[in-house]
Amino acid sequence: MNLRRTWAVARKETLHVARDPRSLALAIALPVLMMLLYGYALRLDVDDVPLAVWDRSGTPQSRELVARFSGSRYFRVGGIRGGYREIEQSIARGDVLAALVIPDDFTAKLAGAGGAPVQLLLDGSDSNTATVVLGYAEIVTQRYSGDVRLRMAAAAGVALPREPLAFRPRVWFNEEMTSRNFIIPGLIAVIMMVISAMLTSLTVAKEWEQGTMEPLIATPLQPSELVIGKLVPYFALGMLDVLLCVAAGELLFQVPLRGSGALLFGMAAVFLVGALTLGMLFSIVAKSQMLATQMAMVMTFVPGFLLSGFVFPIWSMPVPVQAATRLIPARYFVSLLRGIYLKGAGLSVLAGEASLLVLFGVVVVGLSIRKFRKKLE
Amino acid sequence: MNGGSEAPAVVVRELTRAFGEFVAVDRVSFTVARGEIFGFLGPNGAGKSTTIRMLCGLLSPTSGEGTVAGFDLRTGAETIKKHIGYMSQRFSLYDDLTVEENIDFFAGIYGVPADRKGERKDRVLRMAGLLERRASRTAYLPAGWKQRLALGCAILHDPPVLFLDEPTAGVDPLRRRAFWELIHEMAETGTTVFVTTHYMDEASSCDRLGLIDGGKIVALGTPEELRNRFMKGAVLEVRTSRPEDAAVLLETFPGVRSAALFGNTVHAVVDDPGAAASVASLLSTGGLADATVVPITPSLEDVFVSLVEGGRPDGVPGGEGTE
Amino acid sequence: MVERLRRMLVKEFLQLLRDPRMRFVVFVVPVIQTLVFGYAVNMDVRDYPAVVVDLDRSPRSRALLSGMTASGAFRFVMDTRDMEAAAGMLDRGDAGAIFRVDPGFGGDVEAGRPGKLQMIIDGSDANSARIAIDYASRIVARHAAELRSRSGGAPARRPGGIVLVPRAAFNPNLESRKGFVPGVIAMVVMLLTLMLTSMAIVREKEIGTIEQILVSPISPTEFILGKTIPFAIIGYIDVVIVALVAVFWFDVPMRGSIPILFLGTTCFFLCTLGIGLLISTVSRTQQQAMLTVFLVYFPAILLSGFMFPIANMPPFARVLTLADPLRYYLVIVRSIFLKGAGMAILWPQIAALFGMGIATLAFAVSRFRKTSA
Repeated sequence: MNLRRTWAVARKETLHVARDPRSLALAIALPVLMMLLYGYALRLDVDDVPLAVWDRSGTPQSRELVARFSGSRYFRVGGIRGGYREIEQSIARGDVLAALVIPDDFTAKLAGAGGAPVQLLLDGSDSNTATVVLGYAEIVTQRYSGDVRLRMAAAAGVALPREPLAFRPRVWFNEEMTSRNFIIPGLIAVIMMVISAMLTSLTVAKEWEQGTMEPLIATPLQPSELVIGKLVPYFALGMLDVLLCVAAGELLFQVPLRGSGALLFGMAAVFLVGALTLGMLFSIVAKSQMLATQMAMVMTFVPGFLLSGFVFPIWSMPVPVQAATRLIPARYFVSLLRGIYLKGAGLSVLAGEASLLVLFGVVVVGLSIRKFRKKLE
Repeated sequence: MNGGSEAPAVVVRELTRAFGEFVAVDRVSFTVARGEIFGFLGPNGAGKSTTIRMLCGLLSPTSGEGTVAGFDLRTGAETIKKHIGYMSQRFSLYDDLTVEENIDFFAGIYGVPADRKGERKDRVLRMAGLLERRASRTAYLPAGWKQRLALGCAILHDPPVLFLDEPTAGVDPLRRRAFWELIHEMAETGTTVFVTTHYMDEASSCDRLGLIDGGKIVALGTPEELRNRFMKGAVLEVRTSRPEDAAVLLETFPGVRSAALFGNTVHAVVDDPGAAASVASLLSTGGLADATVVPITPSLEDVFVSLVEGGRPDGVPGGEGTE
Repeated sequence: MVERLRRMLVKEFLQLLRDPRMRFVVFVVPVIQTLVFGYAVNMDVRDYPAVVVDLDRSPRSRALLSGMTASGAFRFVMDTRDMEAAAGMLDRGDAGAIFRVDPGFGGDVEAGRPGKLQMIIDGSDANSARIAIDYASRIVARHAAELRSRSGGAPARRPGGIVLVPRAAFNPNLESRKGFVPGVIAMVVMLLTLMLTSMAIVREKEIGTIEQILVSPISPTEFILGKTIPFAIIGYIDVVIVALVAVFWFDVPMRGSIPILFLGTTCFFLCTLGIGLLISTVSRTQQQAMLTVFLVYFPAILLSGFMFPIANMPPFARVLTLADPLRYYLVIVRSIFLKGAGMAILWPQIAALFGMGIATLAFAVSRFRKTSA
């Protein structure tokens, strides 16, 4: 590898980037925009669930139950009179996510052996939210049940048997279980994955399409010099993007950065080399910008979102899909960033992920250099 | 600095390149001496570009062998690239870069030493007449300027062998002439120039010519040799008010090998140079009483037409696609 | 005009599908995506990896802990007495939770004192963490009820209190796959059509072939139709392929009407093709076009309600979702597949898509006229 030639390519590529201000602006603004939009708008915490209540009982007890629901921070209660038809319609329209039906014999059954059944209707088409909503509803009803029992026992003058077990959950790393703290580090990883592949996925294909590659491959320029030279400006751009994203996380979203900032940027650098070169690999293989962008989008965008563990936990996936996630570099970067941000983990703890990221980079760079043929075929 | 300074600039033997079923270059053999301007002449799709691309190491030969600047085509493609300059038919430069930036880039790629870069750059800018426009974006340059810039970028490193693929396609005649002056200047300083063209006037100013058609070399020699040796038969120039009819009529005459339109005249290739009178009388009996028939010295174009089957007498301008 | 349009269509199809790799990307990749994502996109917590630190090691503690794995919610990846080692598992992300039982647990339970089970959970994935805690607490409660009934002979279900009877409409077992797979269809198809269209015109601009087309008698409308119809056709083919995968592979029920799905898809395509064309006309290079697609597509997914329920968004974001065609299409697809909804319910979505589609297409055509005139 000749440094002079590499540098010539890097300079030329930097000029290309600089001469297209619109693309440059988009490349810088996009990650920040995404951070803002996702950071502010995206909340996995389910609260304020719109809940329709059909109270057919209308007794003080049923009203107390409804008050428990509206008093909890999880639900926003609206009354309904039109019966099941109205409930079904408002669920189908998505006006409410769940509906609570209190039967008319609620109060009568409350003291009976079987307990009083109340019905919760959920919109199962968004099963995730439905599961969470169901959990909340159970908490509210259980508390209410407990209180009713206590009152009944007190009235009868007997002591309730003590609970045989005490469950003490404790949360580490993200004590408040703020979903933002969990989303932002993952989001940085996913954004960088997509942005970097897009930045480079056109560079080589464009030269093939426009005919500038032909004179280039008739020169002594080596594939490694071309690949690395082209990488330089995009690497700088990518690091700037990471910096902006981290700054947004720090200043706007107050995500705690417990680990070392140096480690974070170091890992980002390793990741960027791999991700940028991956984009270039698409470009080298495709030789057409249309195909290269399709490949970059298909291979980074949706997998980055869905298979990186960014939102969907990897360990709940079927084993073959889990194996597939191992091929997604964003997966390692997501867990590295979460480790550094929330757990304050150091390199010794993250060595596994870090070395896989390095391996990924080496493999992709090696493959790109090998796949770049200085021939017209 | 190179292993074969005594060897000819280009030697190829039985060079062949096939694209699937289609054989673009078919067992081509020739030699180009050092310092020579070698013209590669042929109609579109004849295999000119494919040959030049093989010589520059851009395409691997299907079979055959050869050396460029003394280095083997098959094993030394990367070494060859250090000793050649190549200008493709599209004058492919970076449109969003300025003239100077393009030159700087190629100087870096060719590893032009820093202490000589300034002088080379000046020379190229002066040669291309781009001194005042060094800061212009390449995209805004007219075709003729782009062409000279492309040439300049290809010779920054003083390559002993220069390959030019259709260097004047789409350039006006004045610029074409100026361009050829440049080529001659370079040849005088010892650079070997290998140039493809389909312009006859350009071909005649080459030292030596190879005529290629259908992937095969059909004639090889100096323009003079080509005119004399490869012209089988004599050429008669027929002037008439109805040249199209004359050409059709001539084809039917015994002893006429071929007839083709040349501007307002018709050139007929005949076996017997003394046939002018008999041809004239045959034409007048055929209804072309105004026809005058004169024997002429064959031009390169006549040679070209007589050698190339289904001859295309006028050079068809524009790019050619060989793949 | 029909003939010119036909020629144009033939040319576009040839260009697009000549490359076998492009055929692969266009027809096979969506199926692979649906398959992989159908399996991957899953918020159910299963096999949550946990470490057991049982310092009691009594039959009582064993019984409680084995209850955790019995349901399939948790999977024990380590059984140790070393709390440090367990914490290390959490640090590295090899485990998501620690169940810790202190010595004396068995004795406490025997003596009628509450036995303590501590659960330490990695909150960095707050969402799964919350669900896992929820599962664990339910398992503990069930176990407690059993203990009570065995020891005191009291009935497992005590008198008094209320019983929550949940019923999930449309997806009774709350399988997240059934909710997500139709969404994946929408996502995959949007990406494909948007991407292809946005490259369509700018590509000809970059290569320079557009001039030749513009000097021909072809009208801007014909040109644009020629540029969009092929992508729409490919889009339809992909919807069908992917829908077949959803129904026959993932057993997603198809409860609604196929003509309405087709209608909704058409209106959705009006939007994606319109946006794609608009991007293509205002971009000068394919690079710009691609970055702009990204600018549109990324928020479109976020605001669609695909992963993040719209009901949870802050008000300003909820307003933004109204401009997101994917939002409407997602409702259409989900409702037709899972709810069997008809026009009576879906007409606002379809109308919104239709309106947005016509508006963007018209805007794209007028922009194209201006730039090419």
